[in-house]
Amino acid sequence: MVLLSVIVICEAASVFQPITDAHRSAALELFKPSDGSFGSLEEAYEALRSFEILGIDKKPDISTATCHSVLETLGSSSSSLKDLFHALRVNGILKCKVKEEVFEGIVPRLKAVISSASSLLEFYYSIGSLELIKGQSSNVIVLLSDADGIFRSIKALSQSDGRWRYSSNNPESSTYAAGLALKTLAGVVSLASSEIDQSMIGTLKNDITKLFDSVEKYDDGAFYFDEKVVEAHEHHGPLATTSSVVRGLTAFADVTSENIKLPGDKILGLAEFFLSIGIPGDTKDFFNQIDSVSVPLILSLPATVLSLSKKDQLKVKVNTVLGSNAPPLTVKLVRASSSGSKDGLLIESQELKFDKEISSHFLELPKNVDVGKYTFVFEVVLHDSEHEKVYATGGQTRVPVFVTGIIKVDNAEIVVLDSDLGSVESQKKLDLAGENVVSLSANHLQKLRLSFQLATPLGHVFKPHQLLEKLVWLQAFLKLSHDSKDFLGLVEKFYYLSGSYDIQLTVGDAVMENSFLKAIGQIELDLPEAPEKAPRPPLQPVDPYSRYGPKAEISHIFRAPDKRPPKELSLAFLGLTFVPLVGFFIGLLRLGVNFKNFPSSAVPATFAILFHLGIAAVLLLYALFWLKLDLFTTLKALGVLGAFLLFVGHRVLSHLASTSSKLKSA
Amino acid sequence: MAKLISLLSLTLILPFLCNSFSPDRPTGHRVLVLLDDLALKSSHSLFFNSLQSRGFDLDIKLADDPKIGLQRYGQYLYDALILFSPTVDRFGGSIDVAAILDFVDSGRDLIIASDVNASDLIREIAIECGVDFDEDSAALVIDHTSYAVSSTEGGHTLIASDDLINSDVILGSKKIEASSDLDTAPVLFQGVGHTITPSNSLVLKVLSASPSAYSANPKAKLSNPPSLTGSAISLVSVVQARNNARVLISGSLSMFSNRSAVQKAGSSIKYEKSGNEQFLTELSKWIFHERGHLKAVSVRHHKVGEADEPAVYRINDELEYSVEIYEWSGSSWEPYVADDVQVQFYMMSPYVLKTLSTDQKGHYFTSFKVPDVYGVFQFKVEYNRLGYTSLSLSKQIPVRPYRHNEYERFIPAAYPYYGAAFSMLFTYIASSFGTIGRGGETTVQGSSARLENFD
Repeated sequence: MVLLSVIVICEAASVFQPITDAHRSAALELFKPSDGSFGSLEEAYEALRSFEILGIDKKPDISTATCHSVLETLGSSSSSLKDLFHALRVNGILKCKVKEEVFEGIVPRLKAVISSASSLLEFYYSIGSLELIKGQSSNVIVLLSDADGIFRSIKALSQSDGRWRYSSNNPESSTYAAGLALKTLAGVVSLASSEIDQSMIGTLKNDITKLFDSVEKYDDGAFYFDEKVVEAHEHHGPLATTSSVVRGLTAFADVTSENIKLPGDKILGLAEFFLSIGIPGDTKDFFNQIDSVSVPLILSLPATVLSLSKKDQLKVKVNTVLGSNAPPLTVKLVRASSSGSKDGLLIESQELKFDKEISSHFLELPKNVDVGKYTFVFEVVLHDSEHEKVYATGGQTRVPVFVTGIIKVDNAEIVVLDSDLGSVESQKKLDLAGENVVSLSANHLQKLRLSFQLATPLGHVFKPHQLLEKLVWLQAFLKLSHDSKDFLGLVEKFYYLSGSYDIQLTVGDAVMENSFLKAIGQIELDLPEAPEKAPRPPLQPVDPYSRYGPKAEISHIFRAPDKRPPKELSLAFLGLTFVPLVGFFIGLLRLGVNFKNFPSSAVPATFAILFHLGIAAVLLLYALFWLKLDLFTTLKALGVLGAFLLFVGHRVLSHLASTSSKLKSA
Repeated sequence: MAKLISLLSLTLILPFLCNSFSPDRPTGHRVLVLLDDLALKSSHSLFFNSLQSRGFDLDIKLADDPKIGLQRYGQYLYDALILFSPTVDRFGGSIDVAAILDFVDSGRDLIIASDVNASDLIREIAIECGVDFDEDSAALVIDHTSYAVSSTEGGHTLIASDDLINSDVILGSKKIEASSDLDTAPVLFQGVGHTITPSNSLVLKVLSASPSAYSANPKAKLSNPPSLTGSAISLVSVVQARNNARVLISGSLSMFSNRSAVQKAGSSIKYEKSGNEQFLTELSKWIFHERGHLKAVSVRHHKVGEADEPAVYRINDELEYSVEIYEWSGSSWEPYVADDVQVQFYMMSPYVLKTLSTDQKGHYFTSFKVPDVYGVFQFKVEYNRLGYTSLSLSKQIPVRPYRHNEYERFIPAAYPYYGAAFSMLFTYIASSFGTIGRGGETTVQGSSARLENFD
């Protein structure tokens, strides 16, 4: 009787969580049947098996519909091997009422397949099915008479590096197939009617060792198997591959009587690999993970952050991967030492007490443990020697432990010193627990000293990891040292920018529970003018919110219209302009207008009339120009009228001239 | 015949099969995921599942797979690229930094997750995107005041941050909440910090570190002040390029994983679920253009009271301008509702800048008076909002001055001048009439001389 047997050897810094309730709720979410059944029997098996391992009682009721399809698959003579296999697997969990005759009908068919099988999958499904029938029905005879032969023909598919081929005419070897083969061979051994040749089992063990040579490793100590050839037609990820190997291995280990020698850390690494995945979001991955971790592995989970202020005890929870309690055992703290110094051996070989109520092992921290980082080394010792055969102790567990506590901050003061004399210019006390608003001023020849004391709960001087004083104006930082600071060396860091700087103090450490960020106050710095070669201040990031918002509206300012007099005034002046005209007419009447001189003969009279009409037309044209016409039309019309007027005017005048010369001569 | 029909149906279906990246469908569905090792497929399955459930075809490959390539025969095979391979030194196949930058330059999206000991290759890509990771490759972001409380991890490198960018479009309008509490669930982060280049205006900090954070190697003593401190450290940044390609840069690969349950230091509330899942789902929606992608159609302008678009405007015309803006929702164009869309009437500088009114159905409109300056103007809509793709519309339109006959004709102030002119003309006609008709010597000579002058 051999079992894979591991106890955690936590070389790795990280501690993996076992399967928890989060997994259970995730399982219920992931495996959701549609209309009372799953898409295929394979999915149904994965769901049911995951529920079974996780111990979920409130599983969705799918038994009626699924049983129906199980019976249908088993009853039909045309259903494929794969379907038969999955149907039997589901039946193994659901216990559908399958009649003995059905099994009896299937067995010969399977045996026929086995005797003629050439590919690994055929062997896997048929032998797997026979094994399942053996478990489900006591009356049906499933034993294989030619177990040795079958064993050899499966073994023939193996490669020298421990991997297997899917079939004899397919040269590609696969790690996933190796897992299937191991499982199949385990089935052959359990079904064999007579004892299998031990030498063959011996060679198989060699193969397993070789297979483990190809195991791959993460930095954190997790081991996994992966397919070397990526483009295999049905590619399996590392999770599926590793899971297949682990299943094959456990099945094989179950049926052989001898111990398989495997390095303990590798098996542990495999478990870590499965747990490091967390909760997979895929049903297939989920099943693979859950099915693989159902092998009996034990994890110990020490709490690695202990608070002195809360008086935390050192607690180690030991349980199996699935979260159930481990068999009775004792946890020993082999030694605890401070990480920083070599000599700091704190505790040596102490046994942890077991508390039944919280089912964990605990230890009161001795009084001399101060805050800091420590490395604790645990060892797990099983009480029952029977268990020791089952769970071999893997070694010692090294766990980094942080002991945290409240650091006392005292004697804080901020001082501006005169550089040469060291005389105190101004000094302010600070209360780093409360609010501080200090305002100081200094120039580049002075020094600033900010001092305070940090003490651990045991009164030792404490040096935190993060100790920053920040003068915020242009994000210039000062590293706080024991010496006081000289502004002269910092002017370049400040880019010669004088002004008001905020002082911020940040003190923090992983083991300090009261890490803080405090604004202390302002300091007014008076720095010299920047020389020409001084570096320019770097660009400051722009606030993204201000870069985007809408812009201010712009509306165009129109030219103001000209100032105009009131209409009444214009009309009054309009009236005034007609006054001379009226005066003129009155004057004419007074003078006594006569038309004696108007040409009396027909031709000159016509010209005279036309001349006056022409002038009236020009007047009308001007009126129209104002009211309606534009310049060009007016000029055109004026050109015509002008020529006409020139002509008739000349005729009229020449007539007048001739009459007057006649008068003179007469 | 059957062959012909199948060929015909293929040609008919083909446009629908190729409905990948295009201006009309900004969300492409083909995503290449490059991993360091395939176990990430399982440990980060929640993130991948959320993408798959939204209709993305994930092609998950190892980063050093010799057969990967982004394009074939000049056509891109993918619409987005996810680099979950922080340690890869050289990509397999034809992918290199230049190929990835070309991919982004073609308007496609990119997600980069870096981590401690990130390779120079990943850093180089990040620098091209305007993000500088801490030079110390072993440095982690440490925060002693806002870390996630854990009984197994005491290094304070697992940060619980809730300093998120204040933008509904990037992170979704739903607050990142724990299922039970109304308070915001913090986002877990463990990885390297980065700063964004201040001169690059396209990078945005989405998740910033708290003021007390710093970036240092937690295992070594701090001898110099850390180069990155405080909220200048960005944990997750996004870039929206000018061609609307979107890039997500995260300093942590583990933040995409299926981790849950968080309690922030200094707070008594223990959250059942960290904000990571919602944060990353919403952020990936933004990255893959399922949100915040705008388009503007049917830009119209015309004079008030008219319907047709004129070729030229006159100064002082009243005009109406309208535009329709839609946002891509992942499957269809939805009307975009906002009240800050602005139009500019622009010649060298904006003469008019006006906020458009909206009918809440994507239609934006306004009316204004053309300024009394003539020249060649542009209607400009420059819409740049945090998280939205930028809209930049411009339409050129000349503006002319008044024609000679378009000025005011009857100005009362000028009436006296008109009156004077007409009065003078009347006098003139009357006098010429009188002159020609009147008897008497002296007047005739004088007036005839005058008449000659007039002609």
